[in-house]
Amino acid sequence: MVKKMLTADKLPALWSHLAGQGKLFLPVREGPTVLFKEWSEGFEVALDAPTSAVSPKDLFFPREETYMRYRCSGQAMELSAGEELESAIAFGVHPCDLKAIEMLDRVYLNQEPVDELYRERRAKTTVVALACIAPDPFCFCGDFGIDPVSAPGADLMASFDPRSGNLMLESQTPKGEDFLKGAASLLAEANGQSFELAAVKTADFGLDLEGFSESLKDRFEDPAWDKLYKSCLGCGVCTYVCPTCYCFDVEDYGHEMAGERFRCWDSCMYGHFTQMAGGHNPRPGRKERVRQRFLHKLQYYPETYGEIACVGCGRCLRSCPVNLDIVQAIKALGGEKDV
Amino acid sequence: MCNTNPLMPQTARVLDITVETPDIKTLRVSGKEGLPFEFMPGQCAMLSIPPVGEAIFSITSSPTCRDCLEFSVKEVGAVSSALHSLAPGTQIGIRGPYGNGFPVEEMKGKDLLFIGGGIGLAPLRSLIGYCLANRKDYGHIDIVYGARSPADMIRKSEVKETWAEQPDTKVYLTVDAEFPDWRGHVGFVPTYVSDLAFTPQGKVAITCGPPIMIKFVLQALEKLGFADDQVITTLEMRMKCGVGKCGRCNIGPVYVCKDGPVFSLAELNKLPAEY
Repeated sequence: MVKKMLTADKLPALWSHLAGQGKLFLPVREGPTVLFKEWSEGFEVALDAPTSAVSPKDLFFPREETYMRYRCSGQAMELSAGEELESAIAFGVHPCDLKAIEMLDRVYLNQEPVDELYRERRAKTTVVALACIAPDPFCFCGDFGIDPVSAPGADLMASFDPRSGNLMLESQTPKGEDFLKGAASLLAEANGQSFELAAVKTADFGLDLEGFSESLKDRFEDPAWDKLYKSCLGCGVCTYVCPTCYCFDVEDYGHEMAGERFRCWDSCMYGHFTQMAGGHNPRPGRKERVRQRFLHKLQYYPETYGEIACVGCGRCLRSCPVNLDIVQAIKALGGEKDV
Repeated sequence: MCNTNPLMPQTARVLDITVETPDIKTLRVSGKEGLPFEFMPGQCAMLSIPPVGEAIFSITSSPTCRDCLEFSVKEVGAVSSALHSLAPGTQIGIRGPYGNGFPVEEMKGKDLLFIGGGIGLAPLRSLIGYCLANRKDYGHIDIVYGARSPADMIRKSEVKETWAEQPDTKVYLTVDAEFPDWRGHVGFVPTYVSDLAFTPQGKVAITCGPPIMIKFVLQALEKLGFADDQVITTLEMRMKCGVGKCGRCNIGPVYVCKDGPVFSLAELNKLPAEY
C-alpha cells in the first residue's frame, strides 16, 4: 500500500495524464446531474457529489456491446469476434457501486462459464474508488454494511478534501501501485497524513434485514404481492439505474449478407422479457414481474451468493415515478424494525 | 476479444431438412467434422441465423448418432421460421450443449415409461435413442406418444417401425380425435396413460409435451402411484444466453438453461409454480 497526495492545482494535469494511458471514465457534473463519462477537456469533474444518476456498471457491462460479426455469401457464413478492448480507468467509483460490481463479479466471473466480455473489461480497467463525502437523503448503504469511505476491492482508494481541493490516493493492489508510479511526477508525499473528513451519515429507513432473505422463501404467494405491484408502470427505470441488475438481451443488427450481434441491457420489468415464441409467458403481468425483480434481489440472489443484491445506493428511490422502490418492497414484506 | 466467449457460436452446416408435419421439420446439422460438440440426451443448443437471431432448441438425436445433430423444430417464431426456410447445405451458427440432460446413470436398471405429446417427443427421442443403443442397461421400455392428428405425429416410421420392433419395448400411439385413416387409439394422452394402468414399481416416467398435457399426465401418474422422484420432465423457457446469466429463464433461484431443463417432479415441487 502506497499513499500519495495530489494538490488541487495538479488535478487537470492528472486527468490529461490518465486519459493518455487509456480511456478515462469519471463522474462529471452536467447541470444538476452527475454521470460517469469518458473524460474530455473542460468537463467539470464531480469529486464532492452524491452518487451518479446511473451506476458505473456500464464500464464493465456496457449498455450495448457488439461481440460478433457475420458475413454470408451463398450458403457460407463466416463468424468473427469483435475488436480487442483498450485499457481503461474508472475513477471515482463510490464504495456502494464498487460493492455492486463485486456482486456482478460473482455472476460473470466466478460462476462457470466465465463471461469473457465482462472479464476482459474488468481485467483491463483500473478502478479508483472515491470516498463518498456527500450522501443524499436516499443513500442507505449503511444497511448493507458498506462503509462509504472505504472500498477494499478497488485498485486504489481516493479521498477528496473539499476545503483544499486536494486528493489523497492510496494503492490497494499492484495495479494501483502501477497507477501511482505512472503519475509519480504529479504526486507529492502524503507523509502519513489523512484528510479529516466529516463523519458520513447515511439514511435510516428503519429496515431490519436480519434473517429477511430466509423469511421470503415461502412467501412467493404472499398477499403482499397483490398490493405491491399495483402502482408499477412497468417503465423499467429501476433496472436501468440499478447497479446490481445484470440481465441482458442478445440481438442481431444487419442484413442477410453482413452485420453484427450485440448484447444489451434488458429488464425483467418488460413483458417481452420472458415471452416465448409460441405465446406462453411465465411472467405475464406486472405482479409476476415486480415479484421477480424484488425476489431476485432479496431472496434468489442471496440464496445463491449469500448476500442481498442491494447496496443502498438509493437510485431506485430517486428514479421510480411511483415510489415503488426497494425500501417500500422490503417494508411491505416485513423487513421493518418494530417501532 | 477472446474466442472463449461463451456467447460466440461456431459455424455448422444444415445437411438436410425433413418435413415431419405441416409445422414441424427436422434439420440434420453437422460441424466441420461430425458433431459440433459432445452432449448428453436432454441437452439443448442455440441455433442462429443472422440477422434473424438466435433461439434454443433441444437436441433430438441421440449422442450415439455420431455424424450429426438433429433438431425437430416447430414453426412458431422468427428463428424457427427462418430454420424452416433454409436450403440444405446452408451454414448456421451453433453453440452448446446447454443444460443438465436426463439422469441416464440413475435410470440404469429401471423400467422406463416415456410419455410424449406432439413436438414434445423431440427431447424424449434423444433419450429413447440412447437407451435403445444401450439396451442392456435399461429394463422394459413403454412409449406413449400422442398428437392432435395422425398428420401431427413426428418421426412416424421410426416410432412405428424401429422403436416398436426393439426387444422388450412397447409403443402406444394415440390421437386426440377420430380420423378417416386412423385405426389406432383415440383419446388424450393423460387419459390413455391412466387407461393403460402402468405400474410404478421399478419404473421412471419421463414426459414432455404441451404444458396442459404435462399437467394432466402428472396427475394421472400420481393416481397410478408414481412418487414425485419417479417422474421426470423437461421444461422450455425463453433463453438468450444458455449459461445462467441473462436472467430470464429462472424459476425462483434455479435457471432452466443450466440447472434444467430436466427436473424431477420432486425438484419442481420445491420451486415456485412460475413456468
